[in-house]
Amino acid sequence: MAIDMSQFYQVFFEESAEHLAAMEGLLLNLDVENPDSEQLNAIFRAAHSIKGSAGTFGFTDLAETTHILENLLDRIRKHELALTAGMVDAFLASGDCLRDMLEGHQGRGGADPAVVETICQRLRQLSSGIAQPVVTATVEGGLTSAVAADDEVAVKPSLPTNGLHVFDIQFLPTEIATQGVGVNNLLDELAGMGRLDVLQRPQSSGSGFWELRLITDVAREVFADQIDFVADNGAWRITEDTSVEVDGTTAFGFFGDMPGVPDSVRGYGFFNGEPLPSPSMAEEGDGYGFFEPLPVSPLSVSSDEGDGYGFFEPLPSPVTIPPLTPPVMAEEGDGYGFFAPLPTPAVTPPVSAPMPVAAPVAVPAVVESAPAPAKATAPARAAPTAAAASDSSIRVSIDKVDQLINLVGELVITQAMLLQTVSQLEAQAPERLSNGLAQLERNTRDLQESVMSIRMMPISFVFSRFPRVVRDLSSKLGKQVELKTSGETTELDKSLIERITDPLTHLIRNSLDHGVELPEKRQAAGKNPTGTITLKAYHQGGNIVIEVGDDGAGLHRDRILSKARERGLQISDQMTDQEVFNLIFEAGFSTAEQVTDVSGRGVGMDVVRRNIQSMGGRVEIESMAGVGTRMTVRLPLTLAILDGMSVAVGEQTYILPLSYVIESLQPQRGDIKTLSNQARLIQVRGEYLPVVVLHEVFGLKSSWNDLTQGIMVVLDADGTKAALFVDALVGQHQVVIKSLEANYRKVPGISGATIMGDGHVALILDVSAIAGMARSTMQKAG
Amino acid sequence: METKTHGTNVSDEESVTSEYLTFTLGSEEYAIDILKVQEIRGYEPPTLIANAPPFIKGVINLRGIIVPIVDLRIKFQLGKVEYTPFTVVIILNVAGRVIGVVVDSVSDVISLSSGQIRAAPDFSGTFDTKYIVGLASVEARMLIITDIERLMTSADMELIDRNVD
Repeated sequence: MAIDMSQFYQVFFEESAEHLAAMEGLLLNLDVENPDSEQLNAIFRAAHSIKGSAGTFGFTDLAETTHILENLLDRIRKHELALTAGMVDAFLASGDCLRDMLEGHQGRGGADPAVVETICQRLRQLSSGIAQPVVTATVEGGLTSAVAADDEVAVKPSLPTNGLHVFDIQFLPTEIATQGVGVNNLLDELAGMGRLDVLQRPQSSGSGFWELRLITDVAREVFADQIDFVADNGAWRITEDTSVEVDGTTAFGFFGDMPGVPDSVRGYGFFNGEPLPSPSMAEEGDGYGFFEPLPVSPLSVSSDEGDGYGFFEPLPSPVTIPPLTPPVMAEEGDGYGFFAPLPTPAVTPPVSAPMPVAAPVAVPAVVESAPAPAKATAPARAAPTAAAASDSSIRVSIDKVDQLINLVGELVITQAMLLQTVSQLEAQAPERLSNGLAQLERNTRDLQESVMSIRMMPISFVFSRFPRVVRDLSSKLGKQVELKTSGETTELDKSLIERITDPLTHLIRNSLDHGVELPEKRQAAGKNPTGTITLKAYHQGGNIVIEVGDDGAGLHRDRILSKARERGLQISDQMTDQEVFNLIFEAGFSTAEQVTDVSGRGVGMDVVRRNIQSMGGRVEIESMAGVGTRMTVRLPLTLAILDGMSVAVGEQTYILPLSYVIESLQPQRGDIKTLSNQARLIQVRGEYLPVVVLHEVFGLKSSWNDLTQGIMVVLDADGTKAALFVDALVGQHQVVIKSLEANYRKVPGISGATIMGDGHVALILDVSAIAGMARSTMQKAG
Repeated sequence: METKTHGTNVSDEESVTSEYLTFTLGSEEYAIDILKVQEIRGYEPPTLIANAPPFIKGVINLRGIIVPIVDLRIKFQLGKVEYTPFTVVIILNVAGRVIGVVVDSVSDVISLSSGQIRAAPDFSGTFDTKYIVGLASVEARMLIITDIERLMTSADMELIDRNVD
């Protein structure tokens, strides 16, 4: 089997390296103060996966080190221990150490055993309760008193006093079970029932005699069947070891009554050539101040030994400790009893007095000599969680996704070209060709949709950060604010997600600072002292709409107007509310009476609008004094595709983003008026709109000499309406936006380019800029 | 020049040859580093860009990328500006950008050693000497070796936003 395994080594090395990298990345991003349990779980899974496969492949050094790491992680993720920066450092260091070990197994360099030892020791210190390497063999947490099980050997004999049974299981598996996963499955099963120790396992990979010890609260019938399944009838035996019930002495019995088991396999092996492991460890522990940060349970204090060694220390569970009280003293005996075969007087030191005689090497030495149990449990434990550890997503570079999107875009264009060619053939085209093309069209559309959806992410990525922002800021400002979010699952393009975060944060800060009033003020106004900020996202047409609303004071029209007048902006009292509110998006505009460090400097809202516009979106304000304000951000679903209307001007075709188009009409002679004989206006439904004549702006030659022959397209850009004169409307398309700036430069009035069905390039008009041109001609004329 | 002082270097430097693509603009023959050339294709009417200088003919679709087309004949007032089925566009790959240039005709690809390239005399003209690497004589033809990358990325060409520079 060993030979068979070796062919998977490379996979193991790669996988482990990936897991290590992932672990490191996660560790670096971990917020020590407030660790995300999802991240902790991910780190744990990474460590666990390494341990599992290392065990399977027989890299015991890796398995052991990861196991210690994993134990600590497990406790952190179960909130038994608080994460500290020191732990993160230790994790990172152990990650490096594991990487060295991996390298070593691949025949390049290797880990310095001393370093490994130091790190193991550091980790063990951090988890402090787990001070014995034997944990590796016994940590299985399936017991009802799992916390106690997490403890080390000294506790072991006391476990049965909790009404558990100790079974000795001996079996000779069938060939099939040995070769297949039968034995491993059995080990998993048993490990899930309680604490499983492998006392003897076949030396070689072939079939052989197994001897297990299971400490569990489950009746023997439960697992007898499973053993029967693995071993032939009569080739297995389960005996209940009642002697364990007693205590202390059982520790010896445990190791002692196994005739035929070579010493090295048993627990004794740990201490070979290590005459003073127990005291030195304790001293060392003391010296290092293991226990300081841990809340000392009064019960365990009474048993000095437990304290001194910290064996029971990190178990803050009052539930498990009381039943242990009587045997605590006994445990003391156990702890020593465990080492009793070693004829040394140091075995019973005065425990209450810490002995700072450190022998740091001792602990790792113990680890090194205990490979057998670790080996036994590692594979057993790995299997059940392996499925959970496998990720349901893959990491792909955004470049690759973009390339895919581009290629699909090309495909869509090619398909459109084909379709156009065939439609020109009309009746001459064979039916099968047209059918095939229709099929192709559907397929490409589906393909395009699914490719585009790769980049889509739920907006919760952005929303999730706002509760924190609101909490911090509201306490800073002395306001009571509740944040309500809805539509977190609404998906939008990843690049938009990244870019919308800042503007949204700003809008929320703004609502908090300027919108929501202080509690007293709210109460005086008859409102709930707790203000509400609502954050809502939903789809509307081809857009995604994000609303930031508050039930605060609302915008003061008069104050904005007077401020605008102060700043010398062109305003009039006849302006609509919408236009007045839009003034707050002007650069440097702030109505805040007081500049705070939150807002009020007047930088921001203009940036917000500019950012949103650069994404092809727009922002609107609705507000009612005393009732609240609502900012509505409209964004295209994606930056890559646009619903466009193609218009012809002379021989050129331009694309107008459909979202800006309100209507189009053929003007009558009387509709068009001039202002100062310069600017033209058109009357549409009682409104006078400035006219932008596209061929004049772009210096082209129109097919018409008279404006009444062409088409006026009424546009709405950020609340500014304008009529755009074009020669004709051509059609409506979904176009893939291509950058003009990639190989050229920015062109005024053009926001990008696209490729039409016939392979030609059409430019996409920048409606906001065009509306701006209309305004400037008006101002010149005015 | 070092080559004059160290005799051994002359042959070394002369043996270092680079390949150049030569093309004509009017009666003048130009050579550009072949490594900057992506491909050569026929002229197709580009999409006009509003308010662009006259030598920027517009943009074309080159397999999904939008590529601006510059007519060097207009820019340097050389040759007859007419577009026939034989008008060639050299697609260049310079400074991470793809740019097409219209020339009268593409002649051939030649190898020139650095020893064959002589420094150009200072002269004033439409074609600024700072874009000229040197002159080379090949069989009674005079080739103007051009630093096409420098030329294309220069402010003169108006191909790149100034703030990008």
